[in-house]
Amino acid sequence: MTKNLRLKTGKAIDETYRISFKFNGSTYYGFKGDTLASALLANDIHLIGRSFKYHRPRGIMTAGSEEPNAIVQLHNDSSRTEPNVRATEIEIYEGLEASSQNCWPSVNFDIGGINNLLSPLLPAGFYYKTFMWPASFWEKYEYFIRRSAGLGKSPTKPDPDIYEHKYIHCDVLIIGAGISGIMAAKIAAKNGLKTLLVEEKPNLGGSTIYQNSDHFKINNQNSGSWLEKEINEIKKLKNLEIKTRTSVAAFHGYNFLLARENLTDHLPMNQRNDKTRHKLLKIRAKKVITATGSIERPMIFDNNDRPGILLSSAIKKFADYFGVACGEKNILFTNNDSAYETAISLIQKGINIEAIIDNREEVNSKLIYEVEKNNIKIFKGYTVANTFGYKRINKISIMQLSKDGQKVVGPKIILSCDCLGVSGGWTPAVHLFTQSGGKLKFREDDQVFLPNIYPSDQLSIGACNGDFTLDEILRNTPKSLIKYLKIKNTDYDNLEVSSSTNKSKRNIWLLPSDKILGKTKSFVDYQNDATAKDIKLALREGFRSIEHVKRYTTTGMGTDQGKLGNMHALGIVSETAGAKMGELGTTTFRPPYTPLTFGTIVGRNVGEYFDIFRKTPIHDWHIDHKAEFENVGQWKRAWYYPKENENMHDAVQRESKAAREGAGILDASTLGKIDIQGTDASEFLNRIYTNAWSKLAVGKCRYGLMLNEDGMVYDDGVTTRLDENHYIMTTTTGGAANVMGKLEDYLQTEWPELDVYLTSVTDHFATVSVCGPNSKKIVSQVIPDLDLSDENFPHMSFKNAKIGNINCRVMRISFTGEHSYEINIQANYGKSVWEKCMEAGKDYNITPYGTETMHLLRAEKGFIIVGQDTDATMTPIDLQMDWIVSKKKYDFIGKRSLYRSDTIKENRKQLVGLLTDDPNEVLEEGAQIVADINKSPIEMLGHVTSSYYSPNLKKSIALGVVRGGKNMMGQKLIIPMEKKNINVIVADPVFLDKENKRLNA
Amino acid sequence: MLNYNQALPEKKSFQDLQIEEIKPIMKLIIRGKKREFISAFGKALNILLPTESNTSTQSDKLTALWLSPDEWMLFSNKPIDENTNDYDTEKLLNNKISKINLGAITDVSDQFVMINLKGNKIYELFQTGSPFNFNNFQNKKGAVIQTILAKIGIIVHNQDKNIVNLFVRRSFSQHLFSWMNDAASRL
Amino acid sequence: MFIINCPYCGEREQSEFKAGGEAHIVRPKQPTELSDDEWAEYLFMRKNIKGIQFERWNHTHGCRKWFNMVRDTSNDEIKAVYKMGEKPPVD
Repeated sequence: MTKNLRLKTGKAIDETYRISFKFNGSTYYGFKGDTLASALLANDIHLIGRSFKYHRPRGIMTAGSEEPNAIVQLHNDSSRTEPNVRATEIEIYEGLEASSQNCWPSVNFDIGGINNLLSPLLPAGFYYKTFMWPASFWEKYEYFIRRSAGLGKSPTKPDPDIYEHKYIHCDVLIIGAGISGIMAAKIAAKNGLKTLLVEEKPNLGGSTIYQNSDHFKINNQNSGSWLEKEINEIKKLKNLEIKTRTSVAAFHGYNFLLARENLTDHLPMNQRNDKTRHKLLKIRAKKVITATGSIERPMIFDNNDRPGILLSSAIKKFADYFGVACGEKNILFTNNDSAYETAISLIQKGINIEAIIDNREEVNSKLIYEVEKNNIKIFKGYTVANTFGYKRINKISIMQLSKDGQKVVGPKIILSCDCLGVSGGWTPAVHLFTQSGGKLKFREDDQVFLPNIYPSDQLSIGACNGDFTLDEILRNTPKSLIKYLKIKNTDYDNLEVSSSTNKSKRNIWLLPSDKILGKTKSFVDYQNDATAKDIKLALREGFRSIEHVKRYTTTGMGTDQGKLGNMHALGIVSETAGAKMGELGTTTFRPPYTPLTFGTIVGRNVGEYFDIFRKTPIHDWHIDHKAEFENVGQWKRAWYYPKENENMHDAVQRESKAAREGAGILDASTLGKIDIQGTDASEFLNRIYTNAWSKLAVGKCRYGLMLNEDGMVYDDGVTTRLDENHYIMTTTTGGAANVMGKLEDYLQTEWPELDVYLTSVTDHFATVSVCGPNSKKIVSQVIPDLDLSDENFPHMSFKNAKIGNINCRVMRISFTGEHSYEINIQANYGKSVWEKCMEAGKDYNITPYGTETMHLLRAEKGFIIVGQDTDATMTPIDLQMDWIVSKKKYDFIGKRSLYRSDTIKENRKQLVGLLTDDPNEVLEEGAQIVADINKSPIEMLGHVTSSYYSPNLKKSIALGVVRGGKNMMGQKLIIPMEKKNINVIVADPVFLDKENKRLNA
Repeated sequence: MLNYNQALPEKKSFQDLQIEEIKPIMKLIIRGKKREFISAFGKALNILLPTESNTSTQSDKLTALWLSPDEWMLFSNKPIDENTNDYDTEKLLNNKISKINLGAITDVSDQFVMINLKGNKIYELFQTGSPFNFNNFQNKKGAVIQTILAKIGIIVHNQDKNIVNLFVRRSFSQHLFSWMNDAASRL
Repeated sequence: MFIINCPYCGEREQSEFKAGGEAHIVRPKQPTELSDDEWAEYLFMRKNIKGIQFERWNHTHGCRKWFNMVRDTSNDEIKAVYKMGEKPPVD
């Protein structure tokens, strides 16, 4: 027989709008406005999942984001399925499908439940202790532990939803739209401040909005109706933006906050279409007002985790707000007045209350008198000693508390029930405050931590600041805002408030029972199955710091971060250790406050937006000609151009041969280019390069090597003197931004007296490099007016030229060792120049080549690539490039470091050429180089940095760094590989055309 | 004759937002520190360089953006002839500034792509990828800032209400354009 | 993420800036006159203070200018920013 648990008066519920959904495969119905939790409760379903470690049946405990137990797997397709979704937060929609987690084969019959029986064998630290030895067994243990660990399942396919980020700047951010947040929003916005109010729930008003008891009145209206009017009023305010379903995840320094705005999770799937699912709001607020309220505390007693045990405030919310009775035989268990508010709500709705168990011996307040008037039995000075019922609570045993509250006395009374509401008082939600770096203080009266020292321009108001009663909130909120916002008055300065709550409370962190502690299961952290016994064990084993106890017992380390139980953990630790609360530290709350999906965190930084790509002006031509691309820094560079069935090796061999025998063409636009002007430009170059620049004639180019101050090679490139006080420097592709930054640094900080201006022109120019014996013929056709004779235009010089009407710069410089020209032209004409060169080179086998061939060609000439043959530990001397280090210059960056005791050592790693005995054997880049493989341990001498098969030399060539390599010329060394040892001979790193004849060929 | 290839061939239109490259625009980076430099520049072109940070100045033909205490970008208000890259303005400034060592003039016409945005959703678009606070900026005609959009460095010039010029380095422009179109499609 | 008040551009988000290590370490005018130890002192030794620290920052995505900052490294509070060449504030 189905019970009727649906009440007629739920504030949030639209009874005209029925919604069907599935839980564990069965179809149920709820109404618009229901959360999954309220809809399940209305269907009398309390058993939601199994606990993490002992697989104990667990149900819905709360009505909010603090929920530890009722976490479900949402959706069942492999791309959208999502674990650990709180049933108390997800709003139901037509077609919703959810299932229980951490149980197999079903939540009703779960094999893992055996862990519950084995629990005496699974104390805190069990895994640490058991699987330590022998170490080699870890891999085997891990397999089984991993299979049984974890909550829920991750999706296996890419997330199809769209997530976005958004930056928001406001004067005031208010977190939480309960009564104090609403008041703050009105005050701030009415004072001309650009205000943002965010609320994690779908509606505004917090717990006051469904408060319709005559015991709580504002200006003679019940508090709920009063607040409703206020909400309607603030919705009209111009300066105020309100975002619901928006949960603040992180509160960082400088009032930088991250919030997740949930846009579609409450909609039926067919209405989500291409809408953004979540937005991650990156909020910068001049002022932050935290009004996050408080979370009701459970109490710690034996078997306090059964389905059917809820927070008392949750029972009230389910009844008043969602119109659902959590049970037909309810018992409330409390140490303060809050449970009586729940009782009054239930009485109003005609829901049966069996009894109220109150820790306090003496209680008196209007609320209690009213409850007593309704003939409800109140057991004063009693505690719940134990509970019964495996998949749903069915009875409890209660006993009287001793005077000191540490023992139970007298006879045991058994009461039957189907729902137990627990109220252990309230814990201010200071999570965000502490995330921001705030320091807490402890209030003894009601045993709570409160904001004390604010680390930034912020304020906590309402329950999160320890104001738990309506009159405190209404009195203190306007007062503290007047002070905080430096204003004269507010609309709320003269409210008439009546509130019946009495603040008395009897706090006992760990309630006694008639069993010894070792035999009890009093859960402190429900999600991670950490009990009071575990915490005491940790203390017995010597842990003292709360942070250590937390890690050892895993208390507070679940997806809920112990929002319910952390205070009890602290309390039990302090009590046991005989310390004051707070003395042993409080645990740190870390972002996010509630879990975020990865999609929200990454936003649109996925797929093509995962990383930035930079394209040259000739990029489209490379695409049209089927180039393969390689990432160099953020650039997409043409890597090689395979023809028909060519693989990379074939293509590179063909391109390399063509460049030396006919003509090659390379897109060198990615090289960094810095325009240098000023009367001290030459002096500046003298200071930053290792070689001398003063005497470079106008129109000439020179290769330069740049060091760090520690003497290590930093970058290299050719710089051209365009005019007396005007140079253009080229840098490596990857180093461009860093070189520019470094040069600016020296100019601005060390040598501000120099008259030098630097401007990046990397993107302004397309650079087309034509090389090979036919390069001159090709360039002469493209730029017919330019005299290309060696007399007029020798190697390492530059000319201004015109192609049609367009000015360009032509450099005769070479990175391949061939006769070659670099045409630098404004980027928007680059593709056209390239095409003109291709056209002119048709008869000369002009061959486009990519970065791989470029690397091969330069390796044949022994030219280094900074970053490949060097790694920030190589000096120019190590590279055998002594020739470029000026002996005459008094100083340049890095000079002093070249004769530090360490850099002058003879046996530093030095760059050498390597030739294999077998000319067809190509070494692997990165392979280690040794001399003696019989010595143990083998001494590593260095490694291979560049290696290729050279089609022009018809043998393999390699560069490598070898300890003391400079003096090893002709010596045999060994490259030990997995399957064989390869013999190599140390050689001159210049393999081809040592005399540089080809440059002028 | 060489063909001219602009960086972003398409124009994109969304509700309340149009995005397109304006080309060819002459752009020069002007550098200098001396007082004579500022006055020489003003005399040469009849436009004062803005010395207040984050501002710009404008004449009939030219706009000057403040980039740093000794750096400005000068650009032509109207597209120029794409069949030449001889600029009279550049020549004039070279003679009046660089040649007499008052400062430096560098042609960056193709270093930067100028993207013009029109409509009332411009700043909503920027908010999806820029940490800069545009709240006051959008009401200041002629305001200029350099910041980041979608991890890419940009210069933003608030030309007029609902008209913005954005400058981005050419190699980044296609990526940024694609990112802007993606974001704009959901505004 | 800090908000940094660039002495040239005004308040901007930290992501527009790059940190450049300890401030007021002057490159020796005559490095060749220094012993290995003296040079190493300049090259490698940094204070890395918990508390008030003088730092160099560069507004890389703005005016490209370097400037100095006084920051309390224990709570990230920026006490002052000032231009290169200016004297650090006394308090």
